[in-house]
Amino acid sequence: MCNNKGSRIHFPATNGRFRGRVCSRDIQTGGQTELKTKKSKKKIAPWLFSGPALLAYTSVVIVPIICSLGFSFYDYSGVGKRVFNGINNYVRMFRDDTFLIAIKNNLLLMAGSTAIQMVLGLVLAILLSNIRKFTNVLRVAYFVPCIISSAAICQIFSKMFSIVPEGVIPALMRLGGMEQIAFLSDSKWALAIVIILDAYKYVSMHMIIFYSALMDVDESVVEAAIVDGCGWWKLHTKIKIPMIMNIIVMELVLLINGTLKAFDISYILTKGGPGTTTELVVTYMYKTSFGMAKFGVGSAMAVFLAVESLAAVGIVRYIGNKLQRRYT
Amino acid sequence: MSSSLLTMRKPVRVLFFVVLLAVALVQIYPFFWVITSSFKTDADLAKAAYLLPSKIYMGHYQQALQSDLMRYFFNSFSVAVGVLVSLIALGAPAGYALSKMRFHYAEKVMTFFLLGMMIPSFACLIPMFQFYNALGLRNTYWALIIPQVGFGLPVCIFLYKNFMSRIPDSLTDAAAIDGASHWYIFMNIIFPMSKNITVTILTFNFVYVWNEFTYANTFMSAGKMKTLPVGLSDFVGEMGGVDWGATFATITLSMLPTLIIYAVLNKQVIEGMTAGAVKS
Repeated sequence: MCNNKGSRIHFPATNGRFRGRVCSRDIQTGGQTELKTKKSKKKIAPWLFSGPALLAYTSVVIVPIICSLGFSFYDYSGVGKRVFNGINNYVRMFRDDTFLIAIKNNLLLMAGSTAIQMVLGLVLAILLSNIRKFTNVLRVAYFVPCIISSAAICQIFSKMFSIVPEGVIPALMRLGGMEQIAFLSDSKWALAIVIILDAYKYVSMHMIIFYSALMDVDESVVEAAIVDGCGWWKLHTKIKIPMIMNIIVMELVLLINGTLKAFDISYILTKGGPGTTTELVVTYMYKTSFGMAKFGVGSAMAVFLAVESLAAVGIVRYIGNKLQRRYT
Repeated sequence: MSSSLLTMRKPVRVLFFVVLLAVALVQIYPFFWVITSSFKTDADLAKAAYLLPSKIYMGHYQQALQSDLMRYFFNSFSVAVGVLVSLIALGAPAGYALSKMRFHYAEKVMTFFLLGMMIPSFACLIPMFQFYNALGLRNTYWALIIPQVGFGLPVCIFLYKNFMSRIPDSLTDAAAIDGASHWYIFMNIIFPMSKNITVTILTFNFVYVWNEFTYANTFMSAGKMKTLPVGLSDFVGEMGGVDWGATFATITLSMLPTLIIYAVLNKQVIEGMTAGAVKS
């Protein structure tokens, strides 16, 4: 069956391909001088094809990141001259209590959101790989929050949590005889809600990555284990999960890297508040730069962000590789 | 069908299904709620929020369409078209160069592109703001098109390169021997054959561009240049406390384009977004 398919695809090209092969050999043996004169033209051609993309990418991504590094050593408020002030921006940044709170909040968000997404994503993926019907419909349904803008999601949830007029969550709390809580303006709850919404928006993406990894596990290994009398629990904990360990480590890297850069939900839903309870590194960097026009300190925070996420990725990769080696 | 299914009894599978269904309902409920609520009459809106509308009422949509919403839609569409056309126009030839041309630096160039996925776009925001300010690009569509193309290119090129390198060389050799130029081969053989990956790149990038918030919030300060996500936040900020019906209708309308594309091309959207996440 496979053969049939293959030949059907290649058939229209067979004629040309055959002629082409003979000719190309002719040129390689007989036409070497001709090739050499064409060489300079050949060298330029790939650059003509990839040049525009390289130019666009370099000017948009590479130049600004280098500029950020440069700006972080200057004092600049948007108008007037740039004044060099060494590492003062960094000193000021770390002496700023709000920035330290933002780092703490961000670490909490990283831990909480990563944990929820890893555990929930993996469990759901395992459950999904164990049912026969409707897997596709369920996957499509799960993925919906990923394709809706953070702006829309935040507006929807701010209405769902609203006390006056009464949104759906306070309404349900009233129905259940509980005392209504203004989750978004309660400093005990706000960060937890931001964490939950961050996890809610992206968990299905990671669930699907785990699911495809589980479906890619070599069927013959699974069959062999079952023939040897391996039960469901052992099959998953001793065989399937260890076999997708590389994906689990990769997911951890993705999630930690992503949550360190979290921005939209906190910025749109709670604006960092109440007070500074949901302030994150990026939201504070954004406010410092574009709200207070302290571009120097803002650039220092931008550099901190880049270094922090690179360092986190490096550490997780290092530990992950060690663990993996122990496992396999 | 996975053989691990053999290790389970049917009741357990049904239990799994019930759990999965419950989670799926939680995932979808907020959108279901906002869409159904947008059809409620003002009397229905005053009742408990979890109730369904007693009849379908379109008045809030009339209200929503009279606001600046149409302007935001137009802006979002213009930016999306600009980004998608530029991404394909720049990304596809680069993917061809890196996969099909005997190119000494191909690997180094690819590594350079992949490096970009490690750079947080937020870390580039301040210089971008100052460049666009100096060049007079703020409050023009370019201020949103340029950064999204730049940051979208690495994944786009990666996907094109992988896809194109799987097209057998024998297909292009014939044309090359007949004297066809690389440009001819690219335009007439490789690019048309890469239709599937082009559709994937277009769909998931449309979702990203449609939902983009940060650049729009930073570079577009003039009211009439705002895109939907920012316009939505502003609109709800003004009207949200007062007029819930119009707010729900506005949110629903803003989600509609991505939902329609997702309804038709969900496979490509999921595939593209997960591939983008895995590579970043």
